Amino acid sequence: MAVRQQSGIFSPGVVESIQNKAATGLYEMRGFGTLRERRWSTFDDLTFLPCSLTRIPLEGYREKCSTKTVLGKRYAKKPIELDIPVMITGMSWGALSYNAKVALAKGASAAGSSNTTGDGGMLMAERENSRTLIYEVLPSRYGINIHHMRMADAIELTIGQGAKPGTGGLLLGSKVSDRIAEQRDLPIGVDQRSPARHPDMLGPDDMIIKVEELREATDWQVPIFIKMGASRVFDDVKLAAKAGADVIVVDGMEGGTGASPSIFQEHTGIPTLGAVCEARAALEDCGLYGEVQLIIAGGIRDGVDAAKAIALGADAVYIGTAALIALNCNKPVHLEDYAAIGAEPYACHHCHTGRCPVGITTQDPELMKRLEIDAAAERIQNLLHAMTLEIQMLARSCGKSDVHHLEPEDMAALTMEASLICGIPLAGTRKVFGR
Amino acid sequence: MSELDATGLSTLDLNSRLRDLALAGTEAIHVRNPGARHNLAVAMLHPGHVRFDGSVGYYCGGLSDGISIEIDGSAGWGLAESMLNGNFRVHGNAGNGAGAAIRGGTVVIEGNAAARLGVSMKGGTIIVAGDCGYMAGFMGQKGTLIVCGNTGEAFADSLYATMCYVGGEIKALGTDAVASAVTGEEAAELETLLTAYLPPEIRATKPPAAQFRKVVAGRKLWNFDKRNWKTWQEAL
Repeated sequence: MAVRQQSGIFSPGVVESIQNKAATGLYEMRGFGTLRERRWSTFDDLTFLPCSLTRIPLEGYREKCSTKTVLGKRYAKKPIELDIPVMITGMSWGALSYNAKVALAKGASAAGSSNTTGDGGMLMAERENSRTLIYEVLPSRYGINIHHMRMADAIELTIGQGAKPGTGGLLLGSKVSDRIAEQRDLPIGVDQRSPARHPDMLGPDDMIIKVEELREATDWQVPIFIKMGASRVFDDVKLAAKAGADVIVVDGMEGGTGASPSIFQEHTGIPTLGAVCEARAALEDCGLYGEVQLIIAGGIRDGVDAAKAIALGADAVYIGTAALIALNCNKPVHLEDYAAIGAEPYACHHCHTGRCPVGITTQDPELMKRLEIDAAAERIQNLLHAMTLEIQMLARSCGKSDVHHLEPEDMAALTMEASLICGIPLAGTRKVFGR
Repeated sequence: MSELDATGLSTLDLNSRLRDLALAGTEAIHVRNPGARHNLAVAMLHPGHVRFDGSVGYYCGGLSDGISIEIDGSAGWGLAESMLNGNFRVHGNAGNGAGAAIRGGTVVIEGNAAARLGVSMKGGTIIVAGDCGYMAGFMGQKGTLIVCGNTGEAFADSLYATMCYVGGEIKALGTDAVASAVTGEEAAELETLLTAYLPPEIRATKPPAAQFRKVVAGRKLWNFDKRNWKTWQEAL
C-alpha cells in the first residue's frame, strides 16, 4: 500500500534511526559530517558587493591579485608561506587509505599549499611528498614521534574537531589493519576510541606550558597552531591566543569526520559562519587580530565559501570533505559496492565501515587500488587551483589586489540572522540588524 | 662530567646547552638549581645522563629519545611524555600523567605518582615504588606498568594491551580491568625488573613479586557489543 502521508516528526530518517538503535543497543556511528537539512545561517546567506560606481574593480582575469598566505608571524622564526589560502586539513592515515594520504600531499604541494597529518602519526611518504606539512599533536598521541615532529613545517595542537567537539575520534575494527595497528600501537581489529583529553594537560593554564614544550622541541622555529571545534569560540580563541598560539584554527559544526556518533555531527558545536565572526571578535577584543592568524574550517565547499570566510576575518581556510570529494568520494561508480554497505552515490557517509567504494576511507588493498595516486593528486591540485581562481575573481570584482584585503564591507547579508551574526547590513537596507 | 647552573639561563638556552653537550658526547651532565622549572630537557635526542639537582616542573624530558635523566627531587606533570626511548629516575614523587603516551624506555619513580600515571602508554616500562593516584594506566595500549604500593580508583580503566602489576591494594579497578594472581613465570620476570630498577633498600621494603596482582584488559570494550551495554554506560 502506498504511504499517503509521512510524519514530519517521525520522518523516515527518524524511524530508521530508532529501529537501528532498537536493533543494536548503541548510538549510531557514521562518517562524513552533518546530514541535517540546513536551517542555520551559512556563507550562502551573504552576497558580495562588487565595485560599480563607488569603487573600481580590477580586471577579473588579468590583473595581479595576490593569494600568498603567511601563517605564524607571531613567534615562529620560520612562518609558513603558502601560494594560496586554501589548505588541506588533518585526516588520519587509518581513517584514510595510504593512497588518499599521499594523493592529498602531492596535490596540495603541486598547488603550493599545505597538508596535515592526522590522528595516527605521520606517513614517511606523506612527508616526502609534502612541500609544507603540518604535524598534528592530538589527545590520543597515536604514532607520536619527535623525529617526525621535527621534520614538520608547523605543529598543530588539536583540542577538538568541528564534527565532534568534546569527544575523541573512532576507528572501527575493520579499519585497524595490521599496518594501522602497528602505527598506533594497538591490538589489530579493536574498535579504537580516541581520548577526548590530552593525557598530560587539562585546562588552558597547562596548555601554556604545553605550547612552550612544543616550541622547545622544535627550537622555536616553526609555527604552533591550536585547533578547536567551534563551541564557546569567543572565549576559547582568547585562551588559545593567551597560550601562545601563532595560528588558531576554528572548525565549525559542518566539519567532517571519518567516524563518530552521528548525534555529535548533528547536534554539537556552532556553525562555521558564526564561528569565524566570534573568532575575529575575540582576537580584536584582545588586540591580536592580524598578529595571530586565523584558519577557518568546517563545510568549506568552494572559493565562494573561502572568500567569504576570508572577508569575515580568516587568513586561510582548511578543506577536508571537499578534498575527499575531489578524490572521488560519492562519485557514481562501482554502484554495487555502495549498495553492499547500504549506501548509494551522493548519499554515502559510510567511511566508518572501511569499505569505501572509491578507495579513500579504507584499508582494504583491493579497494585502495581504485584511487590511483597521481591522477587523484592532480584532481586535488585542480580543485585547489579552481577554488583559488574563484577567490581571486571575487576579490578583483571587489577591487582588491590581494585576496586578504577582502573585508566585511565587501558583502551584504541576505537574511536578518546573517546580518546579526556578521555585523553586516541586510541587503536593501543600510542597517545592521539588531544594532 | 659537565656542570650547568640553570640560574639566569632561559629554558631555551638551558635546553640548547643540554642538547649541545649530549651531541658532543658528554656522558654526564649535572644541572644545578633547576628550580622546578617547566620543559627542562625536552626533546633530548642523543644519549647521555642528565642529573637535575632538585625538582623539575611539567614535561621534563618530554618528547625525548635515548636520554637518561635522573631527578634529585620531584617531577611535575607529564614526566617523559611521548618518549620514544630512554631511562628516567625520579628520587622523589611525580605529578599527574607521568609517563603519558610513552612509546618505549623506562620511567622509575622512587616515591609516589599522582593521577593518570602511564595514561595512553604505548610501550616501555613504568615502575613506581610507592603509590599512585586515580586512573593510572587509563587506555594503556602496550608496555608494562608496575605499582609496588597502592593504587587509586579506576585503576587500569579501558586498557588495550598494557600489562599492569600492583604490589599493594587496588582501591578500585576501572571499567573492563581484570585482576588475577601472577603466574610463576610472570613473578620471575617482575622480580628481574624490580631488582634491576629499584635500589636494594627500596626493593627490600616492597612485597615479593609473587604477591603482586596482575591487571589486564577484560577486552569487553575492545569491540562494540550490544550485550555489554551496562559496561558501555559506565565506561569512562
